[in-house]
Amino acid sequence: MKKRILSLFGILSALLLWGCYPDGPEYTQDLDIVVTHHNSDYDFVVKATYAMPDSIVKITGNLQEGDRPEYIPDVNAEQILARIESNMTLLGWSKVALDASPDLILLPAAWETTTIYYYYDYWYWWYGAYYPYYPYYPPVYVSSYTTGSLLMTLQDPTQFGGNGNPINQWNGVLNGVLNDSFNATRINGLIDQAFTQSQYLKTN
Amino acid sequence: MKKALYIFIFAITATSAMAQGSMMSWQYSMGFATGNLKEYTSPASFRGVTYNYNKMIESGAAIGLELGWNVFYEEKGYGTYTSGDVDYSGKQWRYSNNAPILFTLSYFKNPDGSVTPFAGIGVGTMYSERRTTMGSYNFIGDGWHFELKPELGFLYNMQGASLAVSAKYYYGFAAGDLPAEGFFTINVGFVVKR
Repeated sequence: MKKRILSLFGILSALLLWGCYPDGPEYTQDLDIVVTHHNSDYDFVVKATYAMPDSIVKITGNLQEGDRPEYIPDVNAEQILARIESNMTLLGWSKVALDASPDLILLPAAWETTTIYYYYDYWYWWYGAYYPYYPYYPPVYVSSYTTGSLLMTLQDPTQFGGNGNPINQWNGVLNGVLNDSFNATRINGLIDQAFTQSQYLKTN
Repeated sequence: MKKALYIFIFAITATSAMAQGSMMSWQYSMGFATGNLKEYTSPASFRGVTYNYNKMIESGAAIGLELGWNVFYEEKGYGTYTSGDVDYSGKQWRYSNNAPILFTLSYFKNPDGSVTPFAGIGVGTMYSERRTTMGSYNFIGDGWHFELKPELGFLYNMQGASLAVSAKYYYGFAAGDLPAEGFFTINVGFVVKR
């Protein structure tokens, strides 16, 4: 009897331990990340000018099948582009028109990804030992979340890779779980972080 | 880690039915990471449990089986990390799950006294999984370590059961995706003898 009680105590301890397993992120902003990558062989210091489009393309659809390119709303794009420009200015860059032979071209793009996932109730087998016909419905839960990403690339219009495409000398990716509305403060902070951690872009 | 829980519960149930001349203990386990594991998750762990089954073979000596589960966790503040030409910033949540499965050899001095000091060693394996959550991504590494474990402790014998207090050091050699890692534990629990 003592051993049964001890075993029960042990099993309950293990289940309790499982139940108090540490939690993770609580707020959507906690999931924001900024990733930057640069070509360490490229000398940014000797460059000075860049060009940038006045809209931000959405990566969606299939242009080869005839889909028209889509853009994020102008009101949002203007705020994002202004923030990018202010960061580039702080690093010593001058924005010029595309036909003024810029040293680099900064291309922003955005996309959304919706992830659908499911999970099952892992207590199902436990209940099942007592209630063989429980439950009557599959113990599976379905949920989803949508993440948004902003990609910024710096390309040198005079350098191309073996496949004929321009080489990205710098990439900055901002990624986070989307809320219902555009949050300028949140995205500005992420843009600032991308340039803060890329001080090798500094030309002044 | 669900499979570790299933192994855990299966082993408890199986060894509960074993023969006389044995002792079985459950202990709450507090863990303190060392070395590389401490670099990964530095706070002490208060999420741990260990189960021991010992079969007495000679006066004071016992062979046995030990199962355990220690969870180390750290929430890292917003930070920037560098890997080659890549820099990445964000908050991180780091989890290290460790489930030792060891064969043990123990010696109990003065087993019939009110206080029974004991020492033991364990050899076996430990399944470890490190999971780093950053953004909406999980980065997971795991491995089955070859594991060694020295242990010191004492039993305070009462009528029908004993209070057990022990200190252990688990050391796992590099395995799978993971480097060598180790941690101390302080354990408090009960022992039932048959």
